[in-house]
Amino acid sequence: MIRTINLTKIFRTEEIETTALNKVTLEIKQGEFVAIMGPSGCGKSTLLNIIGLLDNPTDGEYYFDGKEVGKLSERNRTLLRKGNIGFVFQSFNLIDELTVFENIELPLIYLKLKSRERRDKVQQVLESMKMGHRKNHFPQQLSGGQQQRVAISRAVVTNPKLILADEPTGNLDSKNGLEVMNLLTELNKAGTTIVMVTHSLENAAFAHRVINLFDGQIITESMHVSEAVI
Amino acid sequence: MKNIFKWSIRNFLRNPVTNLINLLGLAVSLAMVIILSVYCYSELTVDHFQVKGDRIYLYGDKSDHIYTPGILKEQIDMDIAGVESSVRVGGSWEAPVFQVEHKEPFTSDLIFADEDFFRLFTYKAVEGNPETALKEPMTVVITMSLATKLFGNGQAVGKTLKMNNINDLTVSAVIEEQESISCFSFSAITSMATRKIVQPGGEEFADWGESNFQTFLLLRKGIVPDETAKSIFKLFPEEYQKYYKEAGLTPLKKIYFSEFTLFGSNYLRFGDKTKVMILLMVASLVLLIALVNFINISLSQWLEKIRQIGVMKVIGANRLTIFLNILFESFLLFITALIISIFLVLVVHPAIWNYAGLHFNTGIILTPGFIFISVTVTFLLSVFFSILPALRISSSGAIDNMKKTVIAHSGNSFFKSFLVTAQFAIAIVLIAYTILIQKQVNFGISNLGFNQENIIGIKLTPQLSENKEVFNKILLEEPYVKRISFTQYYPGKIISQWGAQLDIDGEKKQVDFDTFSADADFFELMGLQLSMGRFYSNDLSSDKGKILVNEAFLRENKISNPLGGKISMRADRYYEIIGVIKDFHFKSVTQPITPLVIRNDSYSSYCLVNLQTADFKSLNSAIHNLKAAAAELSPSFPVELVFFEQAVENMYQSELMFRRIFSLFSGCAIVICCMGILAMSLSACKHRVKEIGIRKVNGAKVTEVMTMLNKDFVKWVAIAFIIATPISWFAMHKWLEDFAYKTNLSWWIFALAGVLALVIALLTVSWQSWRAATRNPVEALRYE
Repeated sequence: MIRTINLTKIFRTEEIETTALNKVTLEIKQGEFVAIMGPSGCGKSTLLNIIGLLDNPTDGEYYFDGKEVGKLSERNRTLLRKGNIGFVFQSFNLIDELTVFENIELPLIYLKLKSRERRDKVQQVLESMKMGHRKNHFPQQLSGGQQQRVAISRAVVTNPKLILADEPTGNLDSKNGLEVMNLLTELNKAGTTIVMVTHSLENAAFAHRVINLFDGQIITESMHVSEAVI
Repeated sequence: MKNIFKWSIRNFLRNPVTNLINLLGLAVSLAMVIILSVYCYSELTVDHFQVKGDRIYLYGDKSDHIYTPGILKEQIDMDIAGVESSVRVGGSWEAPVFQVEHKEPFTSDLIFADEDFFRLFTYKAVEGNPETALKEPMTVVITMSLATKLFGNGQAVGKTLKMNNINDLTVSAVIEEQESISCFSFSAITSMATRKIVQPGGEEFADWGESNFQTFLLLRKGIVPDETAKSIFKLFPEEYQKYYKEAGLTPLKKIYFSEFTLFGSNYLRFGDKTKVMILLMVASLVLLIALVNFINISLSQWLEKIRQIGVMKVIGANRLTIFLNILFESFLLFITALIISIFLVLVVHPAIWNYAGLHFNTGIILTPGFIFISVTVTFLLSVFFSILPALRISSSGAIDNMKKTVIAHSGNSFFKSFLVTAQFAIAIVLIAYTILIQKQVNFGISNLGFNQENIIGIKLTPQLSENKEVFNKILLEEPYVKRISFTQYYPGKIISQWGAQLDIDGEKKQVDFDTFSADADFFELMGLQLSMGRFYSNDLSSDKGKILVNEAFLRENKISNPLGGKISMRADRYYEIIGVIKDFHFKSVTQPITPLVIRNDSYSSYCLVNLQTADFKSLNSAIHNLKAAAAELSPSFPVELVFFEQAVENMYQSELMFRRIFSLFSGCAIVICCMGILAMSLSACKHRVKEIGIRKVNGAKVTEVMTMLNKDFVKWVAIAFIIATPISWFAMHKWLEDFAYKTNLSWWIFALAGVLALVIALLTVSWQSWRAATRNPVEALRYE
């Protein structure tokens, strides 16, 4: 599903040049749950942003679903991202002015679905996430765990092929964090490909495969045999 | 669309204080713009509603003399085919007094006109038919407000009022007021036929030498005005043609901004186009200040919303959606401000009328045309001032948005500083200008060269004039009366202009001058100084017919010693010059001192009384006694007493009104500036909570933190002061050029304006800085 060949990303300012990714080659199959680990500044989030079509590589190739997408314009990346990729962030990134329902509804609005269809989908996701009783609440009125569940709901409401999670439990306590990881695991079992950036070994244990980055390069890859996807 | 609307309202409620400041600032400035625009529009379209306005002209000297003889109309009607109709209009030298049963008499503004007046000029009838209402003599057409004042809410047509306690006039029609949209200003009008009855004698309808009227002409379609003016000129006898060499036809719509002057009761209103243009500019500046606030506050808010917008992009919003969202939110804010501003205008306009004398037609505000223009302009403003941040934010990458690297760089803080500095520069210019206007008015009031203190002027009614000697005797018996003088002069009242022949040292020359009569006590009462010769005396009967001239008379006519010279109007009447007085400002300081002749004649319109009282209580009592004494001798006519100082101040009504308008708008400007920096201060404190907490944890005192927060604002105001000073100096210098006598452009005007702006700015931000500086640093760090 995802294939990168010699993916490189260099950030240039007036004074300095930083190589965030250095010839990264990897492949992620459909239905895999992959964790990306590494120390701070190793390029994990950069890699995730490129995979998520939020940024373009400086060099190298990136194939998403068999198509080369590394050199697409912002407009085309947005078009491709819509409905295909869902995002879950460490700080939830919910919109404070919108209710739970409206936050989840947002990607469907951008997909130009009709109001009734949007309502049904959101309702379905709310029930599956057991957040139906909070649909008219604002993010400020929810706990951290609940906010992350709303964020995950938003990410999955369009039935994306791929979910990218950047430190999804970073702002949660262990109980809520475990809940979130279980949710992601269930989504993966249902067929969604998940790529997760994490510092936590416990979280990484939920993944089928762990990729370790250091200074923008893949150092190691390891498999969890019991969860391996053939 | 529904979602965007919902989100916009919630965004507004998220930062209610800041957003309310933004909204109110815009609303107040839009209200000011609406008021001034409607006022300026009303001024610039005076008489545009007149149906036949394009064909109506006033015949007269194009400079400032629009008096024509009564006989001219008859000649025009007989000989000038191009004139469809002509109407003479005239006031009275002394305004008539009206009275109805059971009500106090009052001074009216009655004018006289030929019966075709309402066929030329458009007036809406409330009762009767104005077009035929002036046919019969001794009838009068009055306005609705006068009808209500005289007769209450009942029908007025057919009712009678007494004029000058002698003549009865029957109301033949009632018309609507047209004060704010026409150059005509009167509440009662009667016919020339009536004038012949109530003011008999004199040759004003037969003598080419008596010019007491204004002649309005309705030209036939296609007739060229210049040619008609030339034909009319030829109607004058040869010996009078020299007075009308410059005469022409002035279109009705140009009368309002002309420089004509009328003597006696002044039924024509005149505007000042320069002032209208200045006010339009002021309105634009106030709006600009509010728009700068909008930009600054919006920029701060976009910083907060940028992450949110990044998330929307990540989820799938395209550039156009984001761009339109931002524009729509701005437009919503502007349109809400517009609605509030219209409401504000409708509520406060009576107070503004009373304070600043700004009369305008509020009916314009609710017309479809005005609403369409307002909404369009509002839309354009909202788009114009939001388009750059909208483009910037919508076109940046989602990642940049998430990391808030869009907009948050030094270029933006420079831009914001520049805007605040510009705002304060404008406010300082407005404040300095307001101070200067007041200084010029004060200069005008206090440097006229004659006494003003403790002098009361009493207008002589016909009954007081008849009993002048008795009145004089009664006044002289009062202990608080120091001196009395009977004169035609009163500050602000129009003075007669004569042209006559001067015989001096065997040489004859034509001289023009202003003139009024005054008794011998006038000079001492007014504190006038002699520079040559002597004053005339009441005790010398041979001093009757003697005159004094001023120094300007000598300069203008190149005479070094006028004593013994004789001025004659007619062969059988001459005045001998016996003295020269030092120049004094008998008119406003906006006009140069012109040649003046003061005559020892028996004509007088005012009694000037110089009082000497120990305190305010005795002054009050003296005035009360004066009024009682006058009222006893004048039971049928109202007695008017005015302090000389008040009369002098009234000469500067136009400047005073201008100053009031200026102070109102510069007050608004400074308030809007302060609202802007308050919002910025709120925003700055909010963003620097962590920094303040860290500084305090590391030992910073409250004063040090406040200084850190305030110093940027002080810097901006200081720079604004440096920029504003030369601009205001130039603008003020230009304005003062219109005054013949002007005050100095003192340095302290600029300093005071700068200090005021600084103090107000500091007071505004210090409260917020103090709150931020006294906060518990632990709370601040935890909050962050």
